[in-house]
Amino acid sequence: MKKLWVPLLLLLLVAADLFIGSVRLPFSDVWSAITGNEVSEFTCRIVWNFRIPKMITALLAGMSLAVCGAQMQTLFRNPLADPYVLGISSGAGLGVAFFVMGSSLLGIGSVVRWLSDLGTASFAWLGALGVMLIVVAASARLKSNMTLLILGIMIGYAGSALIGLIQYFSDAPALKSYVLWTMGSFGNVTGTRLIIMTVLCITGLLISIYNIKDLNVLLMGEQYATSLGIPVRRIRNRIFLATTLLAGSVTAFCGPIGFIGIAVPHLTRMIFNNTNHRVLIPASALIGACMMILADIISQLPGSGSVLPVNTVAALMGIPVIIYVILKNRAVRL
Amino acid sequence: MSHILDISNLAIGYSKKAPLLQDINCRLVCGTVTGILGPNGIGKSTLLKTIAGLLPPLHGSVSFIGTRKVMDICAFVPSQPVRATHFSVEDTVSTGRYRYTNWLGIEKREGWQIILQALESTGISHLAGRNSADLSDGEFHRVAIARALVQDTPWILLDEPTAFLDIANKKATGALLRKLASDKQKGILFSTHDLSLAAEYCDRFWIMTPDGVFHQGTPDEMEKTGIIEQLY
Repeated sequence: MKKLWVPLLLLLLVAADLFIGSVRLPFSDVWSAITGNEVSEFTCRIVWNFRIPKMITALLAGMSLAVCGAQMQTLFRNPLADPYVLGISSGAGLGVAFFVMGSSLLGIGSVVRWLSDLGTASFAWLGALGVMLIVVAASARLKSNMTLLILGIMIGYAGSALIGLIQYFSDAPALKSYVLWTMGSFGNVTGTRLIIMTVLCITGLLISIYNIKDLNVLLMGEQYATSLGIPVRRIRNRIFLATTLLAGSVTAFCGPIGFIGIAVPHLTRMIFNNTNHRVLIPASALIGACMMILADIISQLPGSGSVLPVNTVAALMGIPVIIYVILKNRAVRL
Repeated sequence: MSHILDISNLAIGYSKKAPLLQDINCRLVCGTVTGILGPNGIGKSTLLKTIAGLLPPLHGSVSFIGTRKVMDICAFVPSQPVRATHFSVEDTVSTGRYRYTNWLGIEKREGWQIILQALESTGISHLAGRNSADLSDGEFHRVAIARALVQDTPWILLDEPTAFLDIANKKATGALLRKLASDKQKGILFSTHDLSLAAEYCDRFWIMTPDGVFHQGTPDEMEKTGIIEQLY
C-alpha cells in the first residue's frame, strides 16, 4: 500500500500523454474527443488515430521491456543483462537491414517500399525469432547459463557485423531508413499492427507471470534450482519464449528501444526494496510503463510540432537515474 | 527402513580419465549422522554433489531404495549458498517449499508453520524479516540449513555446514543435525574439516585419503585403524 503512488503516477502520465502532444490542442477538446462528445474531426482523428494508439504502444513497450530485463538479469544473475543480451535486437536489426537495405542492393527497392511498415515489423520479428531459435538449440546442449550468455553476446556481435556489411554496400536512402528504424518510434503502430503487438505482448507478460515462482529460485543460483528438482533447461526456454514475445515484438514494431530493459529493474529494486519476483515483475511493469510514457511525452516536444527519436530520449532521461542508483547504493546487485 | 542410501561401484570426478575417487561401495540408513572427512581437494564436495544428483557419476550408481527421484529425497546445502539482495530471510527459506506451493509460489498456512519451525530450530527466528544480504556468512549458512529443513526430505546433505560458524554455533549446528537424525529419523551426511565436531555428533565416518582409498566405519573403528592420526 505504501507504493500506491506508482500506479497513480502511471495514471497521471497516461492522461498527460493523451492531453499533451506535438500538436497543441485545448484540453477540453481532447476530453470531448475521448468521451465521444462533439468536437472537430481534426481533433478526433489526432486523439483516436494517433495519441491513443501511441499511448497504448508506449505502455506495452515499457511494460514488456522492463519485465523482460528483470527476467534476463535473474536468469543470468548479471546486473548488466537486458532484453537484448541474447542478440534479439541484432537479429531484429538484421531482419530489417535485409528488408530495407538488402532490397536496394538486389534492385527491388520500389517493391519493398510498397510493402509498407508491416513488412519491416515482420522481418524484424523473423530476425529476432531466428536468433532465439539458435539460442534455444544451443541451450539444449549447454548446461551453464553463463556459457549461454556468452554465446548470446557472440550472436549479437555476429548480427551487428552482418548489419555493418549490408550498410557498407547499401545506398543513402536505404541507409537513412534503417538508421531511422534504429532510433525507435511509437507513431507507426496503429490498427492491425497495434492489435498484433498487444496480443503478443500480453501473451509474453502472462508467461512472465507464470515464470515468477521459478525466477525466485533461479535468483539463488542454478545449483539450488537443480537441487530442488527444477528442470532448469525447460524453464530457461520458457523465459526465452517470453523474451522473444516481449522484446521481439517491441523491437519489431517500435525499433530497438534500449535502456528501459536494463535500468527499470534496478530502479524497481531500489524503490520497492524487494527482489521477490512476485513484487519485482508487476512493479517493473508499472515503472517501465511510467518511464516509457514519460519518454514519449518528452519526445513529442509538446506544442513544438516536431518529434525526437524516443530511443534517444529514453536513454538521456534514464542514464542520470541509473548513475544516481549506483552512487546511492555504491553497487548494483541482484 | 525406507530410503536407504545405496552406493555401488561409484567413481566420482569431472573426467573419466582421471576420477577423483573410485570403487565407493556403501549403504546408509536414515536416522544416522555421517561425517565425510579428508584433506582439501580430495573430492568431498564432489561426492556430496554426486549423491545429491547435481553431478553425474563417472561410473557405478547412487540410489535411494524406495524411491526413483533423488531430488524428492535429498536436500542439499552448498558450502557457499548464493544469496539475493532485498530478499527477506523468511522469503529465502520459503523457496525451499517449491514443490508444496501453488503456481505463484504462495504458501499455505500450515506451510508457514513449517517455515517458522525451521527458523526456530536453526536459531534464526529473530532474523526472519531481515534482508538476506545484510547477514553474516555464518547467519546465512543457518538460513540455508533452514531452507533445507523446510524441503522436508528424508535426507539432508551438507557441504561444510560449520565452515563459517563460531564455536557456539558450530556446536548448535552439530546438535541440530544430531537431533534431526534421532528425533525425525532423517539421514544426515556432511563434509567437514572439524574432527572434534564430527567425533562428537557422528555415528559414522567416511574418510577419503590421498592414496585414493575410501574408508568407512564408526568413529571408534576409524580411530583404531590409525587413519585419522595419519590425516590430522
